Amino acid sequence: MNENEPFIGIDLGTTNSVVATVIDGVPRVIASRTGQTLTPSVVAVSRNGKRLVGHMAKRQAITNAENTAHAAKRLIGRRWGSPEVEDARKSLPYELVPGPEGNDIRAMLGGRTFAIPEISALVLAELKADAEAFFGRRVTKAVITVPAYFNDGQRQGTKDAGRIAGLEVVRIINEPTSAALAYGFGKQMEKKVAVIDLGGGTFDVSILDVGKSVYDVIAVGGDTYLGGEDFDRRVIDWLVFSFAQEHQGIDLRQDKMAMQRLRDAAERAKIELSETSQAAIHLPFLASGSDGKAAVHLDRQLTRDKLEELTQDLVDKTIQVADRTLRDAGVRVGQIGEVLLVGGMTRMPRVQQAVRQHFGREPSRGVHPEEVVALGAAIQAHALLHPQKGKEVLLLDVTPQNLGIMVVGGYFSTVIPRNTTVPTSQSHLFTTVQDSQTSVRIAVLQGGSDKAVENELLGEFVLDGLRSAQRGEVEIEVSFDISADGIVGVSARDSATGARQSITVTATSGLTEAEMRRILEENMDEMLTRRQVGDFERLRDRTRAVISEIEGLSPRVKESLARSRFGKDAVVKAEDVVGRARDAIEKGDLQQMIAVEEQLDRALQLFKGLVGGAASGPKDPS
Amino acid sequence: MMGDRLVDPADARALHSGGRLTAGRSPGEGGVKADRYQGFLFNPADLSEDVDLDIDRRREILYLAACMDGWTHWQALGLRWNATASEARDAYREKAKVFHPDRFQGRRLGAFRPRLERIFRRLTEARDALSDETSRAAYARKTAPPEEVARSTARTIEGDVRAKERRARLARTNPMVSRVARVHELMDRGRKAREEQRFADAARDFLTASAMDPTLAEARSLAEESRKRANAGKARDLWEKALAAELQHDLDRAQMHAEAAADAEPGEPRYVIYVARLALQRGALQTARGRAEAAVRIAPSLGTAHEILGEVLAAQGESGPARKALERALELDDGLDGARERLRKLRWSFLR
Repeated sequence: MNENEPFIGIDLGTTNSVVATVIDGVPRVIASRTGQTLTPSVVAVSRNGKRLVGHMAKRQAITNAENTAHAAKRLIGRRWGSPEVEDARKSLPYELVPGPEGNDIRAMLGGRTFAIPEISALVLAELKADAEAFFGRRVTKAVITVPAYFNDGQRQGTKDAGRIAGLEVVRIINEPTSAALAYGFGKQMEKKVAVIDLGGGTFDVSILDVGKSVYDVIAVGGDTYLGGEDFDRRVIDWLVFSFAQEHQGIDLRQDKMAMQRLRDAAERAKIELSETSQAAIHLPFLASGSDGKAAVHLDRQLTRDKLEELTQDLVDKTIQVADRTLRDAGVRVGQIGEVLLVGGMTRMPRVQQAVRQHFGREPSRGVHPEEVVALGAAIQAHALLHPQKGKEVLLLDVTPQNLGIMVVGGYFSTVIPRNTTVPTSQSHLFTTVQDSQTSVRIAVLQGGSDKAVENELLGEFVLDGLRSAQRGEVEIEVSFDISADGIVGVSARDSATGARQSITVTATSGLTEAEMRRILEENMDEMLTRRQVGDFERLRDRTRAVISEIEGLSPRVKESLARSRFGKDAVVKAEDVVGRARDAIEKGDLQQMIAVEEQLDRALQLFKGLVGGAASGPKDPS
Repeated sequence: MMGDRLVDPADARALHSGGRLTAGRSPGEGGVKADRYQGFLFNPADLSEDVDLDIDRRREILYLAACMDGWTHWQALGLRWNATASEARDAYREKAKVFHPDRFQGRRLGAFRPRLERIFRRLTEARDALSDETSRAAYARKTAPPEEVARSTARTIEGDVRAKERRARLARTNPMVSRVARVHELMDRGRKAREEQRFADAARDFLTASAMDPTLAEARSLAEESRKRANAGKARDLWEKALAAELQHDLDRAQMHAEAAADAEPGEPRYVIYVARLALQRGALQTARGRAEAAVRIAPSLGTAHEILGEVLAAQGESGPARKALERALELDDGLDGARERLRKLRWSFLR
């Protein structure tokens, strides 16, 4: 294995995503090409058909709400018609339609349907590009995080997204585990840790037993449909309702642009209220007055108390889940040696207070609760790809939900119970129930209910070609396994003949292999060329700016060097680098430009140091 | 399958005495001992498969994958029988660091991958079973080596004895428990004594029981009955002693025993009459008179009582009342020849 091959850890969030890596043994966040550490998980198709990702997409969301997809994570791996999807359809500005099989979800953006993994893939590709700009070379290997409570379909969907983005997903790991890993990095931890991860769209609780660099997850719990978005919506609903009261029943929900502005304002106010006790929401010309009346504005004060009142039940729910998870783990509150808060929503004072009250201790927070998950993913990628003697870190994660099959009467029979350490596997013996039965249909489900229909159907498969025999005579051993990614696999074997049957559980809520290939082909060309061109243009502009700055400084540098006894060769070296950079621009050689970029930067820094001037650094073209 | 496959405890012991398995150690450290794999036969084809694993690690994986299923959970984790839950967790972590599939990321493993996964699964299974105290204890009982079984059986017997002692101690210290138990005990003992005709003992026990539990009517009536029968027995004993003394002409001692007998069973006129007769013989006429009167009081319809009274009165010279008493005696009991003779003498005083 190439020791220097770059790798990344990605926190693919509901609202924001982060990419990180480990350099010289130190985990660090990779800033985007525009210098930000958080990239909004937003994808849009602009009026002229261009795909926009991240900040660019978010910035134009107000004017192009119906073609701007956010919170795709809340939809990934879900079935069309599920309550969560129905709820999302009501609150999301972009249109959702059923997929070709009628059971998954597609988003309509710019007149084209996108599979949900495709949308996530665009975000991942953006992060990958940021990482490539950072490393100056291709990056393929990545660890991606998902909420611990994600089921098989959601994990599979995330993995698909990685593949579409051209990433080799080395591992899918759980966000709370990842956060614990980052938090424990470089510390000698020997205690039980509770991780409370309240992010943009999902909520997770994990109880870990950490010791000897082993992060042993005892139990996980959560809600994949509870997060900052829900807090925002409470504020939006409150604003919409009071606005309607004030202005003779103007229903802002009919106006997508107004709703997008409300969404942004609500989120901003919520964030502000973590620091202050009152936030002003001021949206001029929010709705045009009907019948030729003047446009109306929205002007309201939201107090912290009001926000807490609007969201009290959401906070209560997080504590309930935390309590249940503790019980599952068989751990008493007093045995918890550390409570870790992760995710942007845990900045809310009320959330912190509730956690403090429940656990009876002051929760710990990293400096950046939004970045810690990505850092953990990078550490895990490093541990997997470049294991180092004596510094082994090992994650032992568990499966969040019961895995089982449907049995007679529509009941659910658990094969692998939740909170089982993965990877794991379990066999189950099936027999025929009718004479001369030659096939068996097996429905694989995941969930916590006794009734099959109330659980998530992962897939169905038919075992056929069985020997024709009396009922009960044919026994088929089906083994279920859950990989370290938390992804389910199934294989079957005729107990008597030993004949293996390879079966694949086709996810009912994901992409088929054929569709996957089509998307890959379709996207690959476009993304590659687009990125190459985009990268080249950006880098060329930047390089030009640096060259001109160096040249601007050059006379003064020469002047100061003339009075000095050292550093004469600096100018020679700088001129050489500038020459090579010009050459690269002329030839349009991206690789050479990347190679020379760092030297160019160093030359500039040196020049600046020599003149001691207050010249500003190179401006980013954006 | 993750079923509980238990080993013969004898095998378990053999393995345990074979020392800890050194599987958790990385190869190279200390080298491979000749007996490390207990004579396990390796398939040369497995050892020569083209994978990214050194030969020691291959041996280790092959050996564990083939044998671990038959081991106890403790053996699987390289621990002694009945090691604690926290030891199991620690051992699991150490082993997981070696055998977790993540440790071999990016390496070509071929047929060794499923083996590794099986080893890891087996380790997890062992940890899960042993880290819960309840299931650990149950498993310990199930897999106990023979000498442990013997020891624990001994402990059980010892335990029974201790429990009995504990109950007794409790009975002593707890007034509530002790009272009820004590009453039962007394009643049982009383009944036993009554059956054996030891009425005095029975009466004492029943009486104590009824005093401790005044609501116990049975105790009261049994006490009464036993006491009576005890007194009767005692009186008879004394009477017999008195008769014996009289035969020996020791009238003083006879008098003493007879009086004691009369006191023991005051309702019985026989003893009183006897006392009176003895007193009369000894010339203690006053005592004889009192006793004779008492006998008549106790048994007004008993001829002998009137007879003795008449004799005493006659001895005192009160011939009128004496005649009356003797007439009454004969009236009641025709067979009293002594009384008839005395009466005749009284009527015909010259006959004296």
